[in-house]
Amino acid sequence: MNVNRISAIFEKDLKDFTKNSMLFFMPLLPIILAVFYSRMGDGEDLPLFVIYLIVGVTYSAVTAGFMMMMMAEEREKNTLRGLTLSPASFIEIIIGKSLVTTLLTFASLIIALLIMGIGPLLNAKAMIGLIILFFFFLFLGIGVGLFVKTVGMTTAYMMPLMFLFGFTPMVESLQFEEGSMVLKIFATFPISQMIKLGEDGSWSHIGIVSLWTLGAIAFTYICYIRTRKDS
Amino acid sequence: MGHIIKVNQVQKKFQQTTALDQISFHVSEGEIFGMLGPSGAGKTTMIKLMTGELGKTAGDLEVLGKNPDAFHRSSYKAQIGVLSDNSALYDRLSVLDNLKLFCKLYEKPLSRIDEVLELVNMWGEQKKIVSKLSKGMRQRVLLAKSFIHQPKLLFLDEPTSALDPGNTAHIHRSLRKLNEEGTTIFLNTHDMQEAADLCDRVAFLHQGKIQELDRPSALRYKYSSHAFHITTFAEEELVIENTPDNAAEVAQLIADGAVKEMHTDNPTLGDIFLNITGKELV
Repeated sequence: MNVNRISAIFEKDLKDFTKNSMLFFMPLLPIILAVFYSRMGDGEDLPLFVIYLIVGVTYSAVTAGFMMMMMAEEREKNTLRGLTLSPASFIEIIIGKSLVTTLLTFASLIIALLIMGIGPLLNAKAMIGLIILFFFFLFLGIGVGLFVKTVGMTTAYMMPLMFLFGFTPMVESLQFEEGSMVLKIFATFPISQMIKLGEDGSWSHIGIVSLWTLGAIAFTYICYIRTRKDS
Repeated sequence: MGHIIKVNQVQKKFQQTTALDQISFHVSEGEIFGMLGPSGAGKTTMIKLMTGELGKTAGDLEVLGKNPDAFHRSSYKAQIGVLSDNSALYDRLSVLDNLKLFCKLYEKPLSRIDEVLELVNMWGEQKKIVSKLSKGMRQRVLLAKSFIHQPKLLFLDEPTSALDPGNTAHIHRSLRKLNEEGTTIFLNTHDMQEAADLCDRVAFLHQGKIQELDRPSALRYKYSSHAFHITTFAEEELVIENTPDNAAEVAQLIADGAVKEMHTDNPTLGDIFLNITGKELV
């Protein structure tokens, strides 16, 4: 792995981000939501599912959304081909391209959590879970970005992904019958597992989130191989 | 001199369509090799096979002594440069920022940026934003990007297609300089003058097959009628076969002071292509 190449891609993406008005608003979304929810609490601690709702929005909109758009733009404009034909390896390209997203995700998440109350997440298990969850959304974003052919198409994928994986805690408020199949399925989703981790502290939830992350990595790798060779 | 590219009986099919059929040739180290053909002849597909962006259907292919499938390794990718019709730049960034990225990816000193911009006649335009560049300027920056790392082997697909004659001539001089410094160049073009000016050898590709392959001068000689074309002061056009039997007739015309113009038949590469395929090089 070559640090110079990674930092060259990071530097380029950072400059590109400052000139890309389309991406500017995204990191503000979780912060605005956090302000909104914190005013609903009447001074009491917010329930865990609301905190994880903000985590889900941050990870789906900023982490996955950013990566999706950045990768899709590289693919649409053929600049990804320049990177893959250069000595940079797939891992170096992915790390380099993820750094700006990582920076913005955590800046946005920390500000949002400070507004809402970071207390319930200040323990080792929650931190480990949050990091693994971050990688799930990161690879999901990269994979979809490589899968779609245009930036325009990312919107079609981003919305369902945001609702499925980001807004998972909202499913319970949709009045499904207790024990219904829909609720059982959504209970296995990463954000639901993180809420359960906060409730019972079992490592098994981190294991399930890790499986989701491995799935996202495999999806990204398949999409990369598909883009490396023209059909 | 070793062969930097070896292509043997290569075939490429896209579903039922055969894009390249039984292609065989080699490119020697230090050579400028031209592949001429009209649009859709299979020239770009050939480059993509050699850069590992496409997989071949059949045959053997070696570039820099390896199968191009090994090009995912950094050490090989650092030795090749590619400019094709789908090469691209980052639109929101400046020319300098674009070249800086590739200088760093190839681990070359940033001083190389000024050198390559000079070679493509773009010195002084570093700060311009790529989206504001004309098509020709963008093409020159792409060209600069393709050889910023002084590759051992450079693939160029229609490098001067968007350029005016002045810039084309400048680019040709730079490519010759690059070649003298040790870069082997594989050039795809449909510009016969470009091929004649630059290439040591050319191959005519038509309908996925190589129809001819030789030095431009050898091809011109092969397809020449070897006749003298004479215009007299009486505006008479004469075509006299270049044979010993006709020597006296030609000598007499000269001795009589009747010759206004005299030249041998010298077909252009375009004429030869038309002769072989019945198609224009467009």
